Amino acid sequence: MAETKKIQPDLSFIRGLMESGGDTVNRCYQCATCSVVCPLSTEERAFPRKEMLWAQWGLASKIAGDADVWLCHQCGDCSAYCPRDAKPGDVLGAIRLNAIKYYAEPKAIAETLSNRAGVLGTVIAAFVVWYIIAFLWSLHTGEHFPFPEGTVAYHKILTFVPIDVVVLPIVGLVVWASYKGITRFWNDIAKGSGIESYTGTAPKPAVGPFVSKYVVPAVQEILAHTRFEKCGETKERAKGHKLLLWSFIMLFIVTTSVFILNDVIYVPFLHKHFTPMPLWNPIKIFANIAAVMLVVGIWMIFQMRKEKTAEGVLQSSEQDWILIWLIFAVGVTGILAELLRLMNIAGLAYPVYILHLATVVTLFLAVPFSKFGHLLYRTTAYVYQRYEDDMKAGKAGFGMEKDVIPPAEQAEEAPEDQKQEESKE
Amino acid sequence: MSDSILVIGGGFSGVTAAVEAAEMGYNVYLVEKESYLGGRVAQLNKYFPKLCPPTCGLEINFKRIKTNPRITFYTMADVESVSGGPGNFKVSINVRPRGTTPQCTTCKAGEAVAKTEVPDEFNFGLSKRKPIYMPHPMAFPNQCVLDLENVSGDEIDAIKAAMPTGHIDTSQSAEKVNLDVGAIIVATGWKPYDPTRLTNLKFNDYENVITNMMMERLASPSGPTGGKIQRPSDGEAPKSVGFVQCAGSRDENHLAFCSYICCMATLKQITYLKEQNPECECYVFYIDIRAPGARYEKFYKKIKEMDKIHFIKGKVADILPGDAPGAVKLVAEDTIGGGKKEQEVDMAVLATGMQPVGAESPIPGIEYDSDGFVVPKEGIVPCGCAKRPIDVVSSGQSATAAALKAVQTISRRAS
Repeated sequence: MAETKKIQPDLSFIRGLMESGGDTVNRCYQCATCSVVCPLSTEERAFPRKEMLWAQWGLASKIAGDADVWLCHQCGDCSAYCPRDAKPGDVLGAIRLNAIKYYAEPKAIAETLSNRAGVLGTVIAAFVVWYIIAFLWSLHTGEHFPFPEGTVAYHKILTFVPIDVVVLPIVGLVVWASYKGITRFWNDIAKGSGIESYTGTAPKPAVGPFVSKYVVPAVQEILAHTRFEKCGETKERAKGHKLLLWSFIMLFIVTTSVFILNDVIYVPFLHKHFTPMPLWNPIKIFANIAAVMLVVGIWMIFQMRKEKTAEGVLQSSEQDWILIWLIFAVGVTGILAELLRLMNIAGLAYPVYILHLATVVTLFLAVPFSKFGHLLYRTTAYVYQRYEDDMKAGKAGFGMEKDVIPPAEQAEEAPEDQKQEESKE
Repeated sequence: MSDSILVIGGGFSGVTAAVEAAEMGYNVYLVEKESYLGGRVAQLNKYFPKLCPPTCGLEINFKRIKTNPRITFYTMADVESVSGGPGNFKVSINVRPRGTTPQCTTCKAGEAVAKTEVPDEFNFGLSKRKPIYMPHPMAFPNQCVLDLENVSGDEIDAIKAAMPTGHIDTSQSAEKVNLDVGAIIVATGWKPYDPTRLTNLKFNDYENVITNMMMERLASPSGPTGGKIQRPSDGEAPKSVGFVQCAGSRDENHLAFCSYICCMATLKQITYLKEQNPECECYVFYIDIRAPGARYEKFYKKIKEMDKIHFIKGKVADILPGDAPGAVKLVAEDTIGGGKKEQEVDMAVLATGMQPVGAESPIPGIEYDSDGFVVPKEGIVPCGCAKRPIDVVSSGQSATAAALKAVQTISRRAS
């Protein structure tokens, strides 16, 4: 007899999962149709059949240590072919939402941002706070409040100084929470796949090779969406998502360049504002293209999700819709703010601009605390997958790695590895 | 008020119910849509678990029909509607023309001159037949059929000329028969679930992916290969065969229920393969092996102990082209720690389930549940696979029980 192992189900985990969209989990009878029809499930990493079993049994720690959950893009192929209508795709989606909450710190923010009222409240609160700051700032600048005189220019109501004073601490919080989440997640999945921590048998990887061997290829794959585009039933979703991701990257570049040009160079040294940029400015052109891409991308995602939810291909939780609407709000207020400024309608332009700032702050805060967190954990899982494959092949020793062996010798080695694996079985 | 009994369906259940009721002294009408009695059982090679040919069981019943004047049977006949209630049902039947006379018991001469060839439905398209044909060698009634839908005018003339005078009768036309009966036994049985609906198994893409019923015909001495199990693509004897269990069964997208017989049918078919080639590698991909009862469990155990038998717990959800010509790869996840696997086999057998005939061809006036099984009512008694998916033995038992129920309906009203 094999060693007996007592399984201790975590009932609250099962309950939480069923409440957040995984209510069909108990229908599964383990036929493994899902693992076969999934276009992303591979021989070495077959999912989501095993996750369904772990979820049914309430093996929360097993699931926490499973990177495969994050390799799923919820195409819904498994749910379409599932003979029991157990919807593995939706269960994995629910597992991911729960995981984000599990790794979020402080939890109160994650709780607030996990429902409509909380998100709306945060946006309104941010809106009010921005106005209070703008009022205080107007006392310092002497500009009219709430509608500064003359042509509309947003630095009249808030310059980068008060903005940075508010935003930089939030950036700090987001970076800290993201770092905490990612490292805890990494340790869990490393433990789950049986790889010792750095302090154990495996040497700590040097940053350089780690980045070049694992992070860069992972990010490249994400940018190209190669895996997402393999998804069957909801292939179209990848298009909108790709557009959106690229727009975020472009807007990040814009924000960073403007930050350097305006906040670091123009204002301190040239004593004038770099913004608002004229429409012909290459940065502005770039920014406007990105803004349109953002709105179009999120609209495509919205339409696709609406359609596929109606067809029953996938389920959509409150969190899915919240993120879509929040991103949509950021895009629309941003474009409106620009248009109203160009039309010089101060009475509307300034409130819309403040609303834009409020939505941006909320969205940014949402990174480690809401469904938005998938960008952290999925990316980590992509990186980890590469790292793990190398570790298991004995090639990730960083200095001791065997991957310098010429291909001819490698070929000879392969059968030996196989033999070892067989003997283990 | 009528004391006759109608049995719809002349398969194993219907024939059993008919003779049981007739031998209790009641007049029975038996209506069969095919041109022969015996239904699905007639297509089988062997019964499980005794592995004897099904003809013996059928022949005893045919003899009981022949010797019992209380049974009137119609073949090539469809029940078009049922109305009324217990004690006095009105039933309308359409009997299609057979195109031959009862003395036409062989049609070799007609076959020789006929040019048209159509897939032989009795062999699930594994062979062709002519428009004049005997449904199968053991057909009862032993009378040829002229397929009027697939024959040209010139061909009919040629067949008529080649056959002995009086054997071909083209003057027959469809005939309406109205019956008054006191009770109805519904034994409409099942059909193999359409494998083309299992889109991920791509049945149409591979010649060497067959169904379990096709396997019965391949293994049957009266089948297209004379009982030699050969691949459809090249006639080679397969050195490896994969069985895909639950092809359509236990699946809410297809048949929501377990078809009950497919596991046993697969185990039985392994004995066909092993008998012809003990070296044949057999792979069975399953969710659960269901061998109900002590006898079936024993049979399963016996098969499991054979050499070169592999049971893999995991459903095949994709079929890919194999590396060897004609071969296919079955893709499944071995859920007992084996990972996702592709198994190449020379031939694959889809263990397609039993779909009740009522699912696609319901009879007006009979009530069905959502799966297509008949809902029993006073005077309307289902049996066999029209009632639920069961094996031949249980079908026989349920048919006898149905005969008793039908008799009760009539005797209650008479007293």
